[in-house]
Amino acid sequence: MPHFVMVIDLNTCVGCNACMAACAMENQTPVWDKKKWRTYVHDKEIGIGSDVNRRFFPRLCNHCDNPPCMTVCPTGATYKKPNGIVMVNQELCMGCGACAMACPYHARIPITNDDVQIGQAFYGSDYHRTCASMDKCSFCDHLVEQGQKPACVTTCVGSARLFGDLEDANDPVAQMVASGVARPLMPHIGTKPNVYYVDDLKWRS
Amino acid sequence: MDVNMTYATQEMWTWWLAIYLYFGGLGAATLAVTFLTDMYLKPHRHLVIWGAGAGVVLLALGSLMLFGHLLHKSAVFHVLNPMILFNKPDAWIAWGTQFIIWMMVWGVLYALPDVRETQFPRRVPVIKNLIDQPFVIAIAKVVKHYHRGVGWLAVVNGVGVAVYTGLLLQSFPAVALWHNPAVPLLFTVSAFSTAMAFLLLLMYTLLHDQADEYIRVLYERIDLVLIAAELVILFSLYQYLKNGSESAVRSMELLWNDHGWLIGFIGFGLIVPFFLELKSMMKGWSTRVPIITASVLVLVGGYLLRHYFMYAGVYAYPW
Repeated sequence: MPHFVMVIDLNTCVGCNACMAACAMENQTPVWDKKKWRTYVHDKEIGIGSDVNRRFFPRLCNHCDNPPCMTVCPTGATYKKPNGIVMVNQELCMGCGACAMACPYHARIPITNDDVQIGQAFYGSDYHRTCASMDKCSFCDHLVEQGQKPACVTTCVGSARLFGDLEDANDPVAQMVASGVARPLMPHIGTKPNVYYVDDLKWRS
Repeated sequence: MDVNMTYATQEMWTWWLAIYLYFGGLGAATLAVTFLTDMYLKPHRHLVIWGAGAGVVLLALGSLMLFGHLLHKSAVFHVLNPMILFNKPDAWIAWGTQFIIWMMVWGVLYALPDVRETQFPRRVPVIKNLIDQPFVIAIAKVVKHYHRGVGWLAVVNGVGVAVYTGLLLQSFPAVALWHNPAVPLLFTVSAFSTAMAFLLLLMYTLLHDQADEYIRVLYERIDLVLIAAELVILFSLYQYLKNGSESAVRSMELLWNDHGWLIGFIGFGLIVPFFLELKSMMKGWSTRVPIITASVLVLVGGYLLRHYFMYAGVYAYPW
């Protein structure tokens, strides 16, 4: 059974935000609300005076092996597939928001009834959402099931987003994780995240 | 990973969740205290009816607060089904919902014989018609036979609700203010303290009976101990936050630099009532006004605790 992970190389992310657009179109997210992206690229400056670096920092659900959002979910709407992907069953989700409160990565977004109505008009007859619920990145599970990669990975011009199988020792992504070059965010919380980052600052003068 | 951090509070669960937690703790603890009083201290029909009534009404109002903010309201049926405890035993909201439902059910059943034997409910047409139905009379007889068993089922579920309000917040690992063992303890002690205050207020006003003086004195002394315990827990929490992670330190700064928390909650919600009740215990008061004042302050303080707690939870987001 594969165990899917994503590695994000901060050295090659150019901040074009194509990943956000690709994700939004592939997953029909509420693009009319700037706070409701499944994936988001922070644009920050690090440094002082003339010694300033610009850092683009993509964020998304970390598909934790110990996901607190799944633990607190009272209906079982949040569940983890054997391949490691954390999913939300929108029909089961009552939208209490406990998952958003539990998530340390700010990766949960509320889809309201208004969003569903606007979505039906915006995306037309292809719109797949039937009810309001909490939402999150699914690693484009529907594409992964077909042997493809998530939309954000496919569209990334700098190959900053890499997708692979942790169980495959020959997978370059798994090797980056095993080598320690790619590291997770806030591992001390105990969530055992499956999104890893390659540091950029140490390579900059 | 070498990252910078942004520290932020949340806007998802705000004052309305504080009301849910407050009404949940207050209603459940009131029901538990009145039933225990009725079972082991003095059979007290009016106290039972008020306790069960407050429990049901406050829990219903609190639950409505949460229900009103659900995104997908029809899916709430999944969590109302008792089987949810087998499917999601790790989710505190699932436990809390079941505690609330069963506390209401057993609470109403426990009060049923007393309601049937009291004049006041008979003045309400709907209740009068209902309690004279043959099946209700039959249920009341069964409940009377198993009165303590039913009472304990209500009490256990009531205590479960009070503890749950703290466990819910504790289950969010990203926020140091919430994710620590002091929180369930603090919320449970606060729930029972506000319940004592509510009952003292009731017994000094609407249910004022000289024969209940020893119950009032007992409630005052229990409340005194609970307020003292709350102050000790808060002191421990302060020490934990002061020397904790950045999330903890920032929550501490938000709380202890806020006059609403420091003066409103700790000052007027705990310390002032503590001394008013301490004076009552040591030398007594010539009037009931100080204890009524203390009770009102404790009740307001109980809400302030939960209000500020919700707003002061700090997340640390890396970038």
